[in-house]
Amino acid sequence: MTPKTEAGTGAMETGKEQGLTLAEVRRNLQGVKGKKYWRSIDELAGTPEFEAAVLREFPDAAQEWVDPVSRRGFLKLMGASMAMAGLAGCTKQPDEPIYPYVKAPEDLILGKPMYFATAYPFASGSVPLLVKSDAFRPIKVDGNPDHPYNRGTSDPYTQGTLLDLYDPDRAQETTYRGDNREWTEFMMTWREKLIAAKANGGADIAILSTTVASPTLARQWKEAQALYPKAKFVQYDPVNRDTVRTVLGTKDVQYSLTGADVILSLDADFLSGSSFPGFHRLTREYSERRKLASGPEGATMNRLYTVESSTTTTGLKAEHRLALRPSEIPAFTAALAAALGVSAPVPSYGWTDAQTQYLKAVAADLKANAGKCVVIAGEQQDPSVLSLALRINEALGNYGKTVSFTDAINPMPTVQLAELKGLVNDLWSGKVDWLLMLNTNPVYDAPADLNFVDAMRRAKTTVHLGKHADETGSITDWQIPASHYLESWSDARSYDGVASVVQPLIDPLYKSHSAHEIVQAMLDESTKTPYDAVRETWQPLLAKSTDGKTADFEMNWRKALHAGWIDGSALPTAATATVAAINAPAPNSKDAIEVQFRPDPTIYDGRFANVGWLQELPKPVSSLSWDNAALMNEALMVRSGLAEQDIVEITVNGRAVKAPVLVLPGLPDNTITAYLGYGREAAGRVGSGTGYNAALIRTSETMAVAAGASLKKTDGIWGFAVTKSHYQDHRSKFFGGEGTGNNSLEADEALTRGIIREATLGEYKANPGFANEGETHPKVEREITLFPNWDYSTGNAWGMSIDLNSCTGCNACIVSCYAENNIAVVGKQEVRIGRNMQWLRIDAYFEGDLSAPKAHFQPMACQHCENAPCEQVCPVGATVHTPEGLNTMVYNRCVGTRYCSNNCPYKVRRFNFLLFSDYETESLKLMRNPDVTVRSRGVMEKCSYCVQRIQEAKITADKENRPIRDGEIVTACEQACPASAITFGNLNDKGSRVRKLHDNERSYAVLADQNTRPRTLYLAAVTNPNPALEPVVEEHAPTAG
Amino acid sequence: MAQIFDRSSNALARMSLVLTGILVIALGVTLNELQRSPWVTRQGQRADQPVPFSHKHHVQGLGLQCQYCHTSVEKSSYAGIPPTKTCMNCHAQIWTNAALLEPVRHSWATGESIRWIKVHDLPDFVYFNHSVHVNKGIGCASCHGRVDLMPLMYEQNTLQMEWCLNCHRNPGKNLRPTSEIYNMAWKAPTEDHPVWCSVTDAKTGVPTAESVSCVTKDPTDSGPAMASLDMPATPGAKDAAPGAMVMPASLSYTKFTSQKALGDFLIDQYHIRPPRQLASCETCHR
Repeated sequence: MTPKTEAGTGAMETGKEQGLTLAEVRRNLQGVKGKKYWRSIDELAGTPEFEAAVLREFPDAAQEWVDPVSRRGFLKLMGASMAMAGLAGCTKQPDEPIYPYVKAPEDLILGKPMYFATAYPFASGSVPLLVKSDAFRPIKVDGNPDHPYNRGTSDPYTQGTLLDLYDPDRAQETTYRGDNREWTEFMMTWREKLIAAKANGGADIAILSTTVASPTLARQWKEAQALYPKAKFVQYDPVNRDTVRTVLGTKDVQYSLTGADVILSLDADFLSGSSFPGFHRLTREYSERRKLASGPEGATMNRLYTVESSTTTTGLKAEHRLALRPSEIPAFTAALAAALGVSAPVPSYGWTDAQTQYLKAVAADLKANAGKCVVIAGEQQDPSVLSLALRINEALGNYGKTVSFTDAINPMPTVQLAELKGLVNDLWSGKVDWLLMLNTNPVYDAPADLNFVDAMRRAKTTVHLGKHADETGSITDWQIPASHYLESWSDARSYDGVASVVQPLIDPLYKSHSAHEIVQAMLDESTKTPYDAVRETWQPLLAKSTDGKTADFEMNWRKALHAGWIDGSALPTAATATVAAINAPAPNSKDAIEVQFRPDPTIYDGRFANVGWLQELPKPVSSLSWDNAALMNEALMVRSGLAEQDIVEITVNGRAVKAPVLVLPGLPDNTITAYLGYGREAAGRVGSGTGYNAALIRTSETMAVAAGASLKKTDGIWGFAVTKSHYQDHRSKFFGGEGTGNNSLEADEALTRGIIREATLGEYKANPGFANEGETHPKVEREITLFPNWDYSTGNAWGMSIDLNSCTGCNACIVSCYAENNIAVVGKQEVRIGRNMQWLRIDAYFEGDLSAPKAHFQPMACQHCENAPCEQVCPVGATVHTPEGLNTMVYNRCVGTRYCSNNCPYKVRRFNFLLFSDYETESLKLMRNPDVTVRSRGVMEKCSYCVQRIQEAKITADKENRPIRDGEIVTACEQACPASAITFGNLNDKGSRVRKLHDNERSYAVLADQNTRPRTLYLAAVTNPNPALEPVVEEHAPTAG
Repeated sequence: MAQIFDRSSNALARMSLVLTGILVIALGVTLNELQRSPWVTRQGQRADQPVPFSHKHHVQGLGLQCQYCHTSVEKSSYAGIPPTKTCMNCHAQIWTNAALLEPVRHSWATGESIRWIKVHDLPDFVYFNHSVHVNKGIGCASCHGRVDLMPLMYEQNTLQMEWCLNCHRNPGKNLRPTSEIYNMAWKAPTEDHPVWCSVTDAKTGVPTAESVSCVTKDPTDSGPAMASLDMPATPGAKDAAPGAMVMPASLSYTKFTSQKALGDFLIDQYHIRPPRQLASCETCHR
């Protein structure tokens, strides 16, 4: 590495050219007294780009035609639409055919959706589901409300699996070296091989699979192993649970946050997505302790400490966050363990005063709450962290209270990396003749040092079973289309150890097959279907009598399918387990740049790369969509002579990758976070060519962290699609703006106008009405308006309440909204110019120092204002107020003036600048929600409070002559939310949950001074900081400059 | 220079102005009429169906009830087009060789659907729900006309928005007792043909029809025994021993001699939403 000072000086100059220097950013921050919110680094620095952006309603170039469509094509289109314009009302509808059934299926009532329980088998534990099926097409994936594990909630990945099913780029045919073949031909070849291999016990057969979630597949393999004792079965996922396996062997750890007053997360990102096992339950239990339902008197809350090496929502939700470099965390854990009486060697390290103070405070708090606290360790960390964390829990008496153990929920728990290495060795030594790869993509994601591609070519026959002909499938001999989990039978266990049957919702769309069939082929009954295999697995349990009477397998089986889980299948739990004592390694030198590899918050390890919803979903904290980046703090960036969007060559372990640079506030110094899953070459039309492949510098020795990276600026600018500062306000001082023209609507006013309101628990108790006091803008009385007030004395009045204390910013609501409301994916270029179509966004407001920010997450969708500015300016009455208080869009009236969007202070309206909806792709038509219009070009759209669900409930209630029950209408976002942060209901119903929440003293309206009188109110956040611990302001600034 | 235009051209010029005005108005009127014309709305047009299915024969002639084929009309947004199986229930036995039924037999033999042409075709941005209409007192014939008199199916009404709103703004004029939904020949009550309705224990949570009972014969003529057949059991019936004969509570029928009076009564009884809500955009568009 070059000396720090030199790098620093160089950096300042380069930085200045880009208009963003640390010094300027800091100067901007210094001038501000008290709280100051900001939304992006650009904003703090006042870059020219940002200043230009604030002058526009939609971001730069949003109104230009930037598609790769020729001018001629454009004129052609325009000509056509001109001709149509005047006659649109007079055009005759073409004849539409009806194709009735020949024999109608039993139980089907066309137009009435059916719901089937199933489960999504995921590596971190399956997600129990209730899937909505319209005419036998799955159209919405949601959590199973009856299942005790997730209680109806879901997460972004699970929601995204729906689009994965209908992905038009899925492999459709079995191929052999590129030629289409029949499945039976493969089976014949495979059986022939098996017969030939019988003699040597299958020694030259190896199977490489994704983490096996299915007990049936495990059983099938066990039986196959008896016949072919020398055949190998290896599991590998680039994001795996080797840490747990190393520490706990075949046990899994389960946390319960219900009884936890103090939570310490050690690089455990358990609030941002299901890549952390138990996400749904942990988030629910975390937020349940923050609802403050009983009011200010005697209010209690949990307290979350997060020590982390990246910036995650878990860290930003924490009362006290400490950013440490990845390699410092084991040592910190060891020091904490020592302070709590665990005998483990502590590597000596020069902690700063703030870090020591933090450690002392956490230790004291944990000690004071022994038995009522929990220490959660991240799984992408050194195994010593989990080992030490568990020993701390034991020392604190948390075992059996907040921490318990079960058998591993994955039926074949192994240390995957070691197994993969063994397999690669076997391949090199020529021991493997047939290599079958099941639902895995090792060519793309195996550790770079194993050189898997070349090793794989040593096998004579390679087979890939995969949903896509991906990087692996495109070079194997056989490529067999794999069935989606909604297409084939299987089973899996959720985090709580309860097994669910994975029930298909639809016949395979293509000629696809499942891993069960390939392994079953090794057995005597080689063609047994997955359905029969799954039934066979559970036959002993389900045929067992539960009530002493004769048991009926068929009935119990049907019960299990109906309920969504198998009664009595839960794994035994234990209060203790044998924990391998692993000592913390010493941290790396403070000068060494560490690169840490994490599963991507939206596309995981790349398996969702071709899911447009998840690609376009802005990642929590960074708001980056369509790419990953070399995320670093600005100190490292400036010191390395870089600017945002620069392409940097990261060299580590002798391997290099070119990655674009993006600042992630709150990252520790000399740390780069690299999300896996990008840089795919054969992902499909959506996922190929996005981001860079972090796996290229990830070796088997450095699966979690690679230290000693060097950075080199290369030519070129990347061009990110960051959705942060899209919505600008451009008012002068006179109209309440800051007048500098240098602030986004949200950030500048978040504080002055109380967009975000927050208090500590003590402040809340002393002053329960804090959320509605001290407003800088006077509250406008209801009567003062030019427009007549609506009368809601009878009927329903819909409203929503969003609890900012519960929301963890996990994004599940947004993806749920995508699926429910047929929202279009627009692509990276369109997102860059601010045309993303999500009806719901989660605004992140940062506060405080760049290196140790606090953040507030605020879901923002149409507020359904009582006095809606959009309605008043629509010249064609396309957005109107309904008698039940909805602000509704009538798409067929909209002519696309965009006045409404211009006049909306919340900036929640979305305009179809182009024909974003896919009208052509056949498979996507099956996915659409038939109750929601697929919007065309030139139409404005926005959150409708899921009006189709409201109407459905109204019709049902009307037919039954009764009022709508509270909780009968659940909006898509509310349904998905693991934290139950969103509540929807009837404000006229005095007993409804939403009415009570609106009456809560913490409820406040965003931009209330505009007299828009929104129907969505927010519950102000209350935090529970440790008085012994001042906010940690840890400056990771370069000494120079 | 001589004048190019004679004085008389002034008259022509004036006339041309008037004519232009008339032309513009005429064009507007024409477009307006065209827009509402059967050419656009298909009102009254008989589509070229694969089988010339006669509702008249099956409904009036044979007395099939609507729901024999349109099974989901009370439950779902779609009334339902019958599967080939429904046709074959009878036509496996009768008219088995009729040339007209060849498409039906072909469908049955090959498993391919019969390709009907949609007669009542709403635009895709309209979300119409059959079930709520038939459950709330709108009869089939109110929208579809006298289907029992149609040898070939056609669209009786325009199904345009103004036509929908006509009723949504004043639903009372088309309401009928739910017991008469499938009665094609139902006529609004008049002095000569009054309707008698009674209300029993208006409960919530039960289908509309359960609390209102209407008859077209004077219930006082046929005596309480006759009327009791139309009556649901009285509230006390639940407590009575099973099988016990329970006499209906004293009946109080109201006589209606006009659609206005009946409509107002049914709006009240069926809890029909007020016009302001029924005519609100989100009722049909979302």
